Amino acid sequence: MGSDIHRNMKHDRFLPGKRFPTWTGYLFALGLVGLVTLLGIMVHAFFDVTNIAMAFLLVVVTTAAVGGIGPSILASVLSVGILDYIFVPPFLSFGPPNAEHAFTLVVFLVIGLITSSLTSRIRNQWEVARNHERHTAALYSLSRTLADSVSLDDTIRAIVGSARRILGGEAVIFLLEPAGKVKVYTDSPDASTSAAEIEAAARLLRDRDSQGLALAASHKTRYFRLVSAGKTVGVIAIPKTTAFTTDQERLLEAFADLAAVSIERTQLADQAHQTEILKATEKLQTALLNSISHDLRTPLVSVIGVLSSLQEERMNLDDAVRSNLIQVGREEAERLNRLVTNLLNMSRLESGVMKISRQPCDVQDLIGAALEQLAREANDHPIQIDAPANLPTVSADFGLMAQTLVNILDNALKYSAPGSPVNITARSVGSEVEIDVADNGTGIPQADLVRVFDKFYRAQITNNVAGTGLGLSICKGIVEAHGGRVAAENRPGGGTIIKVVLPAGEV
Amino acid sequence: MTDGKPRVLVVDDEQAIRRFLHVALTSQGYIVFEAASGQEGMAGVVSHKPEIIILDLGLPDIDGVEVTRLLRGWTRVPIIILSVRGSESDKIAALDAGADDYLTKPFGIAELLARLRAALRHAAHPKGEPVFTSGELKVDLAQRLVTVAGREVQLTPNEYEIMRALVVNAGKVLTHHQILREVWGAQYDQESHMLHVNVSNLRRKIEPDPARPQHIVTEPGVGYRLRAT
Repeated sequence: MGSDIHRNMKHDRFLPGKRFPTWTGYLFALGLVGLVTLLGIMVHAFFDVTNIAMAFLLVVVTTAAVGGIGPSILASVLSVGILDYIFVPPFLSFGPPNAEHAFTLVVFLVIGLITSSLTSRIRNQWEVARNHERHTAALYSLSRTLADSVSLDDTIRAIVGSARRILGGEAVIFLLEPAGKVKVYTDSPDASTSAAEIEAAARLLRDRDSQGLALAASHKTRYFRLVSAGKTVGVIAIPKTTAFTTDQERLLEAFADLAAVSIERTQLADQAHQTEILKATEKLQTALLNSISHDLRTPLVSVIGVLSSLQEERMNLDDAVRSNLIQVGREEAERLNRLVTNLLNMSRLESGVMKISRQPCDVQDLIGAALEQLAREANDHPIQIDAPANLPTVSADFGLMAQTLVNILDNALKYSAPGSPVNITARSVGSEVEIDVADNGTGIPQADLVRVFDKFYRAQITNNVAGTGLGLSICKGIVEAHGGRVAAENRPGGGTIIKVVLPAGEV
Repeated sequence: MTDGKPRVLVVDDEQAIRRFLHVALTSQGYIVFEAASGQEGMAGVVSHKPEIIILDLGLPDIDGVEVTRLLRGWTRVPIIILSVRGSESDKIAALDAGADDYLTKPFGIAELLARLRAALRHAAHPKGEPVFTSGELKVDLAQRLVTVAGREVQLTPNEYEIMRALVVNAGKVLTHHQILREVWGAQYDQESHMLHVNVSNLRRKIEPDPARPQHIVTEPGVGYRLRAT
């Protein structure tokens, strides 16, 4: 349906209303008069002349309907003349002009006039209705295309394309960007928008007054504001080849409305999408904050609980119980300390202010320091340390490197069942020192072996394990800041190995 | 009870907390059983038959409120929930689901012991003691008499009903809805303002310093509690 309209729209002046070029009308008049004359002659003997006159009246009416006012006058004059000459006595000669003949002629002429003007009015109205129908169909097809379009670009392209088809000109659309710049959209590759045109459009865009369509005068182009809900969303510029008819003006208005609403819709959809992303990010941040807050508070439960127990005289605790409680409180306070340290290191790493003060570190020493911090957790697991005596030292910040090992060991202990062994091995490989921590725990999914060092990463199977997932990412940060690297592997028999490689000796 | 010692089941996923509670409660005459998850907790209720349950809301496998609901489906054992600050709606949800009281982490051991006592007492005497005494306040439910330092206090019918509800549940928290429903009826359970006004008036009559109430304590965002020894 669409293409039919477009084809017909091109032949604006050719209306399928069967109006022929004028001279054919006269020919038609002559022909019809001649035909009826012949018929009349044939039946003249049997028919009363009034009936023949009726036939000529019919000729006049038909000629008026088909040919218009001119041919109908010709037909009237001819008909009256022929009636007089052939069908009214004296036959084959014009009788003296009399009032009756004049009257007949006048009647024929008037009837011709009335008929032709009636038919021409009908034809005009038909034309108008057809135009309306075509415009409506065009707007409908545009609105359907626009309803489908999702992005702003799609929408603009649809509008510009339809403008070309419906309005017959290369439309250019101007939109106001958030930064205040004016963005130009056009479909034809060689259309160049002059600075003056952009300026004119910009002026329109920013103008406060947005009552209806504003027309900026320019000899070549007409500018229309696209207004939706009283707000100017853009400006459309259409090259002005001829003046627009009222119908075309109305079509332009409707078109501009449709375009404006559509542009606004896609802009709102874009905004909504941005808001969705923002909301999702906020949700994630809130979840992280909650997780960290929980992790910080949990050790305090035990600390405060224990201290309040020790404070309560009414509890009447004996020494063994006291000692036990103090132990729990102490350990939990240490755990909190480790967590706070991790968080601080994390934020230092993030903001790039991590200070590393290097010194030669004995690897055995580092491992020992780490194990001491995790004394209680390590109690439940047999730990095997395998580090040769002649291992080169590593140049590192002792505290940070020990913290790294603590995090790795903490993980290993957390994710393996009580009683399962943890192996720590250190060896020299070329100019580097490698420290491996191997556990017999749940292992890490193959796909996650790299992601496990991401901030806040937790593997899927972490049912009863506490923690926010910062430990390994801090390790990575610290190790890499020392010029080393860290990686995770799965053990063939089950479990995980974390490998830390550091440059050996003085750096 | 096992030779006079009440059995308590501690359901919390944090080992350190379980350990501290175990030590502290055992020293106070409780027999402590532990569970590290919702599932373990529910199994523990069945196998150990505790007289009271301490339930953490932040369990890894099942939501604590859900555990409360499930347990209330078949047992009236008192449940005290442990929750973090800032999740008032969770606490209210748990209390509405049938929990008896709550504690916000971190908490002092004295508070926990008081809540345990109150819950066990209420379980033993659902209708409350006929006479309630705390400090200078004395409420005699049988005679409908409220005295402060021996002087009788005149309460409006609503104020008395609120007092009565609190006394029957002495030491336990009552949510706003619970009090409203008890005193005014189910259709008034949204009229918090009315409740606050009445409690405020009540405090003025029975508290030595209404601005710093010793008897009727506000549980922020949740409800009220009548402090009991």
